[in-house]
Amino acid sequence: MGRIIAIHSYKGGTGKTLLTVNLAASYARRGKKVCVLDLDFRAPSLQSIFKLEHSEYWLNDYLNGACDIKRVLIDYTTQCRCDGSMLVGLANPATEALRDMSAKDRKWEMRALGRLLSLKNTLLNDMELDYLLFDTSPGLQYSSINAIVSADVVLVVSTIDASDIEGTKRMTHELYDLFEKKTAILMNKVPIEFLSTSADRESVYKRFENTHTLPVLKVIPCFCDVLRAGGTKIFCRDETDHPFSKHVEEIAAKIEKF
Amino acid sequence: MCLSQILGVDELAMSRSLGKNSAVLLEKIKESLDKLNEKMEVFIEIQKHERKQEFAVQDLPEALDVMTLLSLPDHLRKTAVTICKLGHATAEEVAEQTKRARAVESGYLNQLVLMGYLKKERKGRKAYFFVEGKEE
Repeated sequence: MGRIIAIHSYKGGTGKTLLTVNLAASYARRGKKVCVLDLDFRAPSLQSIFKLEHSEYWLNDYLNGACDIKRVLIDYTTQCRCDGSMLVGLANPATEALRDMSAKDRKWEMRALGRLLSLKNTLLNDMELDYLLFDTSPGLQYSSINAIVSADVVLVVSTIDASDIEGTKRMTHELYDLFEKKTAILMNKVPIEFLSTSADRESVYKRFENTHTLPVLKVIPCFCDVLRAGGTKIFCRDETDHPFSKHVEEIAAKIEKF
Repeated sequence: MCLSQILGVDELAMSRSLGKNSAVLLEKIKESLDKLNEKMEVFIEIQKHERKQEFAVQDLPEALDVMTLLSLPDHLRKTAVTICKLGHATAEEVAEQTKRARAVESGYLNQLVLMGYLKKERKGRKAYFFVEGKEE
């Protein structure tokens, strides 16, 4: 059976969305059937990255119980230029929708959790997808905790920022551990000089693993090309030989064994 | 009270059964003990929460949402998350997932019922636990 991966972080701007999209593209290029859902209802961004026009229904509608998940999903396989397949589910970026989602009560959140949990059956069992990826809101949000509870694996993206590392450590003890989730850290935007020799790389991995008390799946250097692209490029599709794409491919391979 | 009375079979029938089909009788004893055990667990939980009940009635939790799940003690959270995943389930089905003993899960489930987070209904001989309002 396929797996659900939630990509989360303590702070915003750590590179969750970019890593989610590239991870999905990497799996699709390996011939896997993947689906990416934008569960960041406070700041939806998949629509802009995938350059998609408009879907009949949004993920908001699915969580509201207004439609079936299949009505939300957009087939991105052709644009992905992959051997597998890719589906995308978007969150509504309209200000009204953001306001509506932030005003939901606990009962609604409980039902939303039920709907997310049922995706395991509809998408992984019935549609036989290999990977379902959740791009989440940073920090302790209802939507992100719902995503974490529904996921099989949680990837936590952190930068070397001290407040980010502290917050990630707190969330490890007060969130991921409590739900007994398979969790791994992705250190992103690490200055390249920290990783110049293999001894440096080894010590960086050890340092972060000791800090987080969780496996560090990958330490990704900060690439100017990635920053320059400004979120308009899917590296694992457009520049497969780029070192960033290679890093993501290694993460994809590690998750398969994780 | 003798065993035949507890099981609701007459002694003659019991002695016949013992001779011919002791496995069936033992199965009946096991089932009855299971039932008894479950009832005892409920009594224990009711006693444990007698004082808290008054408070629970005044401030009934509205929903078993993720923030509530986070606030539960570890042993109850595991049970509650499993019920969220399974929807409608017996203590046995929960125990299969959590790899804990059925009687233990039965105790935790009944505790969650008393706390107002879960509902319980009987269908025949089985007791099902579920989150109320999840399907609305």
